[in-house]
Amino acid sequence: MTIGVTINSLPVINSSTSMYRDFGTSFIFVLIGIILVAVPLLLQRILSPRRKTAEKMSTYECGEDVEGPAWVKFNIRFYVIALIFIIFDVEVVFLFPWAVVYKELGLFAFVEMMIFLGILALGLAYVWRKGDLEWVKYSVPYGRGRYRKLTIIEETPASPAPAPQETAA
Amino acid sequence: MGNIQSISYFLPELMVIATVVVALIADLVYSDRNSYKVGYLVIAGLVVASFTLWLSLPEETTPIFLNTIVVDPFSRIFKFVFLLATFIVVLMSMNSDELKGVRTGEYYTLMAAMVLGMSLMASSVDLIMVYLSIEIVSIISFILAGYLRAQVRSNEAALKYVIYGAFSSGLMLYGLSLLYGLTGTTKLFQLSGSISSLGPGSNLTLTVSTILMLAGFGYKVAIVPFHFWTPDVYEGAPTPVTAYLSVAPKAAGFALLIRFFNTLFGTGQPLNSPVWQAMEGVPWQDILMVLAAVTMTVGNLVAIQQKNIKRLLAYSSIAHAGYILMGVPVLSQEGVYAIVFYIIVYLFMQLGAFSLAIVVSNRYGTEIIEEYSGIGWKSPYLGFFMAVFMFSLTGIPPTAGFIGKMYLFAALINGGSQFYWLAIIGVLNSVISLYYYMRVVKVMYFQGGREKDLYVPGGMSAAIVLAMAIPSIYFGVRWSFLADWVNSSLKFFIAGF
Amino acid sequence: MSGQLIIFWIVTLVTVLSAATVVFSKNLIYSAVALLFTLLGVAGLYVFLWADFIAVTQILIYVGGILVLIIFGIMLTHRITSVRLSHSSMQRGIGGAIVLMIFVGLTSMIFRAPWYRVAAVEPQETVRQIGRLLMVDYLLPFEVASVLLLAALMGAALLSRKVN
Repeated sequence: MTIGVTINSLPVINSSTSMYRDFGTSFIFVLIGIILVAVPLLLQRILSPRRKTAEKMSTYECGEDVEGPAWVKFNIRFYVIALIFIIFDVEVVFLFPWAVVYKELGLFAFVEMMIFLGILALGLAYVWRKGDLEWVKYSVPYGRGRYRKLTIIEETPASPAPAPQETAA
Repeated sequence: MGNIQSISYFLPELMVIATVVVALIADLVYSDRNSYKVGYLVIAGLVVASFTLWLSLPEETTPIFLNTIVVDPFSRIFKFVFLLATFIVVLMSMNSDELKGVRTGEYYTLMAAMVLGMSLMASSVDLIMVYLSIEIVSIISFILAGYLRAQVRSNEAALKYVIYGAFSSGLMLYGLSLLYGLTGTTKLFQLSGSISSLGPGSNLTLTVSTILMLAGFGYKVAIVPFHFWTPDVYEGAPTPVTAYLSVAPKAAGFALLIRFFNTLFGTGQPLNSPVWQAMEGVPWQDILMVLAAVTMTVGNLVAIQQKNIKRLLAYSSIAHAGYILMGVPVLSQEGVYAIVFYIIVYLFMQLGAFSLAIVVSNRYGTEIIEEYSGIGWKSPYLGFFMAVFMFSLTGIPPTAGFIGKMYLFAALINGGSQFYWLAIIGVLNSVISLYYYMRVVKVMYFQGGREKDLYVPGGMSAAIVLAMAIPSIYFGVRWSFLADWVNSSLKFFIAGF
Repeated sequence: MSGQLIIFWIVTLVTVLSAATVVFSKNLIYSAVALLFTLLGVAGLYVFLWADFIAVTQILIYVGGILVLIIFGIMLTHRITSVRLSHSSMQRGIGGAIVLMIFVGLTSMIFRAPWYRVAAVEPQETVRQIGRLLMVDYLLPFEVASVLLLAALMGAALLSRKVN
């Protein structure tokens, strides 16, 4: 199973072949998506009158005064979750071809995939046990009832940026 | 050989995998205070793996798992090197003050996983497997280098390591893809057949591919244009990790380098045939020779200026990589023999020097060479053994380092007149290295006050130092045992099936 | 020119131009967004090489995962708006000459090399073949990949965890 690559010219293309048709459909979807966004934007640029005033240029024309930049510093938690997500993303990609040949190979393929998944499940157990999956790490002061065991975990005092900003974004 | 039949040949590695799994589960159970106990589990696992490896005695090269890896005496001896190095480093880590107060469960688990990666590096004969094994070793090295997260230097080390690593692995992938593009196969044995039938039109591509792949391999063994990460990583990483990185992955890199280039560009003779031929047209021997010369020269010249013992040993390990690399382009059994011998000897003296550096840093709280003054008098134990390791690293006669270098130079001289210049550069470099190694000894004995506190490090540290020092001297006097063992393991065949 | 050829050139153009934007943009966020188009373009090129599985994988992992991670990474940076990333380049002349040499060298190498060629027949189904290769021929690399992923996962979690 080697798919050669011809460099000098594109391979002979038969437009009725399935792969191009399938991906062609998605390409057309993408194209339509782009057009649907681009054309209205272009139209309004051509048609709309432009008289700028300070009022109009402000972010919220009425109501809130804008304070500070729109860029907020994300919390590291997002990053950890995203990292863990990628690992399992890769794992899922391996599941596709496995599922396709599963019937053909039977028990053999099952055992192989279980070993693969088992080792990665250990990884999941690891991040779980170490608390990397816990999202909210604050607690209710003076907690009562089922909150009574929670203690206050403080954000690092040295951090110059106010920490809870990111949830608002 | 099919997948299921292969499992019985794969037992040592399976033991290592089992060790990783058990260590990880144990780490989940242990509390932070007890997590160092994972180290004992890892040690037990390594011992079991060594035992199964000892029981498996492959007579010749057997490709297993449908030609993705092989088992042969050549990879077996390297696997012993990895197991031994890991074993020692785990013990060293347990006695290092740097790692006290840090949770070390993951640390030992990752070291066990690294053994798996290095074993695969030494035995893979498939481009995909080659790449995958290198990545395992690299990624774990990054993590270990940055293990002391509270220290900025450790973070810096990990970051630099990652950036260089990503870059060089990208270059290597491009080189590997060129090989695949020329031949349409990822199997090393088939590659070598296809390449020799390609004709001169492919020489340019093969040369480019060789250079690019060397970027990847060279990064792992730290040869010169790809060495820039070495000093900072070695300085910033926890000292046991530095010791580990300067020995084990380096040995794995050389195992891979030797197998790869001999299989790919040798022409069909098995390793134990006396006459070899290199393929015409691809100047890979010249490339390797120049790299070896540049590597040891740069390593030694920069080592002279170092003030920190870890940096000194880092640069000297670059120089040693240069010495070892000299044996690769010779393309003879003698050359490979000298390399394997040298790597084993290097393991003892390098790990010994690092374990002493750890003891000194635990006791006297310094890594600066100038502050080693008077240690030879304060603690004769430390002073004497440091002198032994320094002599051995230089290659002065009654030590093992001398025998290792002797074999390397002999292989070069017997290889033919085109290698003479390299041998001369090698000798000159040994003289340069004498200067900075002896400076450490000089500082220890001839500077500073001579008060005596007769410090002898506690049980395990003293034992490690002793266990490293004895072979460093013993193999300098009687090396026939080691030489026979190495000699018997030099059977890997180019035509494997 | 056939329709496919036109699409091919569009995809190529998008890939190269957005890659250039990634490199030359002074704003890190713009670079990240341009990277989105580069990765999508590369996925398109995979389709032209009849590697449909790789194309989808590319979108799933690189666009869906790694790019998001990169953007998170950028957003983690303190006061990202005031970071001026691209420093003024030094040694433009020599650097440019070297880059040009590498480019010309590699290009001439690509055109001269006797590449391994097989007849370009479109595969009916690549996923089944990949599955068979993964499950049989490359069983060991497949299983070892899980150890690699495990190590990467541990490392990622370990290094990004808060130091107590």
